[in-house]
Amino acid sequence: MPTNTYTALATLTVAVTDTQIDFASIPATYRDLVLVIGSAKSVLSNPAVVARFNSDSGTNYPYVRMTGNGSTAGAAAISSDTFLNLAAAFGINTSDNATILIQIMDYSATDKQKTVLSRSNLTSAGVEGIAGRWASTAAITSISVFLTSSNSFAAGTTFSLYGIAS
Amino acid sequence: MQIIQHQELASTQSSIVFSSIPQTFTDLLLVTSLRDNSGSTGWENAYVYPNGLSTNMTSRFMFGWGAGNFGSGVNSPAVIYHQTARNGNTANTFSNSSVYFSNYTSSSAKAISCETSVTQNTNSSIGAITAALWNSSSAITSLEIVGAGTSFLQYSSATLYGILKGSSGGVTVS
Repeated sequence: MPTNTYTALATLTVAVTDTQIDFASIPATYRDLVLVIGSAKSVLSNPAVVARFNSDSGTNYPYVRMTGNGSTAGAAAISSDTFLNLAAAFGINTSDNATILIQIMDYSATDKQKTVLSRSNLTSAGVEGIAGRWASTAAITSISVFLTSSNSFAAGTTFSLYGIAS
Repeated sequence: MQIIQHQELASTQSSIVFSSIPQTFTDLLLVTSLRDNSGSTGWENAYVYPNGLSTNMTSRFMFGWGAGNFGSGVNSPAVIYHQTARNGNTANTFSNSSVYFSNYTSSSAKAISCETSVTQNTNSSIGAITAALWNSSSAITSLEIVGAGTSFLQYSSATLYGILKGSSGGVTVS
């Protein structure tokens, strides 16, 4: 059951277009983080939405996903990638308002690699659940969110970061 | 996150309604625990109607149920694929679901994310996730939860939370 422990840390609404959203100076005072990407659209169609922690571009981001496109369910796994996939199979597009809900567990722990759960919704194409991992024991102090294929977030896309107290 | 209202049914009721939802939050989270009055087992749809309306909704969902069954679908007419446990199920078991409404006061289409489950002591259990879009320019001011031809039993409950974006703790975003 959710409790009143969400603390709003930072928020941004894309005014025109934006290639990358950077959250920085994240304090280590919470247990988990929740990132909500709302009303998400891209300038060009169907990029994946991805993230990096602490600017780490190494192959440290394995993930497994399950997907449903309205007729077929599927699953896939990637053993390593140079970014963390948040919405991979369907991504976002130029017309739908997509929502991506991301939970980052134990982000400030220095004795654990970091687990991330992401739920993405592109109603015209499909629904996706991702379990990802950042193979690092460093505390997360910054998050960069961007799109593949050199794409940009369209105006109106919202980003809100919350801290969850233990 | 702030509780807007919690409702637990004192007796069987055909719907649960949240009205006059404040327009002061960024997102809404609806958490439900439901069991209907049918004598069947398994699960049944429980519809969530923004502003009491069942129109302008599209959705896709995926699910896993029983032993090794999985799939994906599109509801027609479209609804948020959201479940209630049936009264023939294991005693005292209820469905549990969370439904997230992003930017619910926006004048653009509202994206809705749902996770739902019904579990019991047989293979007639299900877990599902849904992507829905309510294509309306109206802000969400009420939510109505209704069963598919059934009513909700006593102790069924629904809790509505408001989530407000903001800045604190020195976190920067650019």
